[in-house]
Amino acid sequence: MKRTIIIFSVVVALLLTLPLGAQRRKNQITTSGSTTVLPIAQAAAEAYMDKYPNINISVRGGGSGVGVAALQNGTVDIANSSRPMKSKEIASCKSKGINPSAYAIANDGIAMVVHPSNTVTNLSVAQIRDIYTAKIKNWNQVGGPNMPIVIISRDVASGTFEVFNEKALKGGKVDGTAQMLASNNAVVTTVASTPGAIGYAGLGYVNKDIKVIKVANVMPTEDTVKNASYPLSRKLYMFTSGKAKGEIGKFIAFIQSDEGQELVKKQGFISLK
Amino acid sequence: MKSLKWIVPALAAIIFVMPVFSFAQELRVGGELWNRWTYQTGKSGNDTVTKKNSFALERGYFDLRPKFSESTSGRFTVDMFSTDSQKDGAGLKLKYGFIDFKDLIPIKDMTFTAGLQKVYFGTIYDWDYTLIGKAPTDEYKVATSADYGLTLNGQLPAGFGEYAVGVYNGEGYKAYGKNLNISPEFLGNVRVVPIAGVTLGGSFMTNSVDADDAPTYQKQVLMDGMARLAYGPVDVWMEYIYKDVEFPNVAGGVSDYTANGFMVMPIISLRSLIDYDIQLIGRYDRWDATDDAADKHLLNAITGGVNYNFMHDAKANPKMQLQLNLVQKAYDEDESAAGYANKAKDTTTVMMQLKYKFDNTIK
Repeated sequence: MKRTIIIFSVVVALLLTLPLGAQRRKNQITTSGSTTVLPIAQAAAEAYMDKYPNINISVRGGGSGVGVAALQNGTVDIANSSRPMKSKEIASCKSKGINPSAYAIANDGIAMVVHPSNTVTNLSVAQIRDIYTAKIKNWNQVGGPNMPIVIISRDVASGTFEVFNEKALKGGKVDGTAQMLASNNAVVTTVASTPGAIGYAGLGYVNKDIKVIKVANVMPTEDTVKNASYPLSRKLYMFTSGKAKGEIGKFIAFIQSDEGQELVKKQGFISLK
Repeated sequence: MKSLKWIVPALAAIIFVMPVFSFAQELRVGGELWNRWTYQTGKSGNDTVTKKNSFALERGYFDLRPKFSESTSGRFTVDMFSTDSQKDGAGLKLKYGFIDFKDLIPIKDMTFTAGLQKVYFGTIYDWDYTLIGKAPTDEYKVATSADYGLTLNGQLPAGFGEYAVGVYNGEGYKAYGKNLNISPEFLGNVRVVPIAGVTLGGSFMTNSVDADDAPTYQKQVLMDGMARLAYGPVDVWMEYIYKDVEFPNVAGGVSDYTANGFMVMPIISLRSLIDYDIQLIGRYDRWDATDDAADKHLLNAITGGVNYNFMHDAKANPKMQLQLNLVQKAYDEDESAAGYANKAKDTTTVMMQLKYKFDNTIK
């Protein structure tokens, strides 16, 4: 017995010497999560650190689900998410003693994008669902050229995918031929280089290399997203453990301020006000 | 047995369809390996002797998780492990083989699961082996961690908790077709999180009785209450277990018995205090395997442990973990008694384990 306890104590002592000297850095804010929110978080972090040089903010992507899980595990201060938290995630946070607080930081519309050469300018929600479930396979079935449709989607860890799934697919199964890509950038780049492609991305990622089409005859604009008449409109969030306090609270308040909302617009998203 | 006639072919069909992964929209491949050194001492006469000093691959899970659509996914897991009972020193068990249907029943956040799946009882279904030891219901053979069955499981609204109801084969994943508890077993489980940091749960499981079955047939009523309190770096798990066993074909109820026990497990995470993910864990178990005075088997077990989680996945879950545990088991009867604790002995065990996981989406 004595020998066993001695062995155990020695190994514990060895393990505990490993982190000696390590100190958690002060004045550091860590965020991770949605790749849609990423450009807003990065721009806001840079502006905030310019204002307050003693604060260090690290921003990572990974997807909304990754950010929420990291918040649950206590490794980030802020989880960026392009969708509301799910019941399971809320329960998991709460059971670990984390009461998640949601802060809306921007409005966004999920833009349906096609190659600029495509003549289609509008799709109904039902047509989008039929395209993504491969009931419609050629652009000529929706008034476009005789060209097979190439389906581009976000991967399932993405909050953008989940909102798209809920609002457009309504539970329908994305066809097995779809390319499931890991970021908004990848979607936009692929659509820009593929004449028959259709994809979707946050408004902040829209550029001149792709064409945004109307959904149910509504274009995603500041007005249609704010009043939710655009069918694929949504809010973007930052989640914290409990009410955001201290530097974390100040950083989120900065993003929600007029100055922060200007940065939101600069990144191509829609402001809250 | 007759009542299982329709269940067994259905489950078998589902399980054998599982390998047809080529239909999957997405396929995740994962695994988990536990390499363990165990050093155990105990009494032999008046001497303390080494009873075990060995290295083993205690678990070698290989996991395939196909996703057929946004609402239909599956899991197929085998466990390859070291064992002396096979001539090649290794064994293989089927651990999971099920399909989740998320929109079969139009209730938000509800999943219908069919096949060899988790048993939603007590803490066994989300026991993540923060200590090397098993969940109490698993350790004391009250419930198995997986079984063949059909369940409805899901989330209560607004993150208020979770629930499960189901019917299982009742034998667990390690046995099939043996003449033990073969009538369907019914389960109900609920866990609520009324406020952040407080989780309360209760489980109930019972099997039906067929008097024509063999004399060894047991009717079991199993109950479990759990509580979890989490605040900052401290996370405390508590569990109470009650088991009532009847032998309907044994006259006079002489073999009937009840068993009960509880566990308290505090975990302190040092991650927020230092830059390393280290956990300190304690655990106390008290298990009374039978209330029969002639067969006393009251166990007190104390465990102390340290985890050093030195690699993490993108979600900050441990991907590589070094665990060290000291377990002391003692029975409260005089060790010299002839029928002492069903021949179990007091032991002291040190275990050191390197546990690692991998998980990739290949399609």
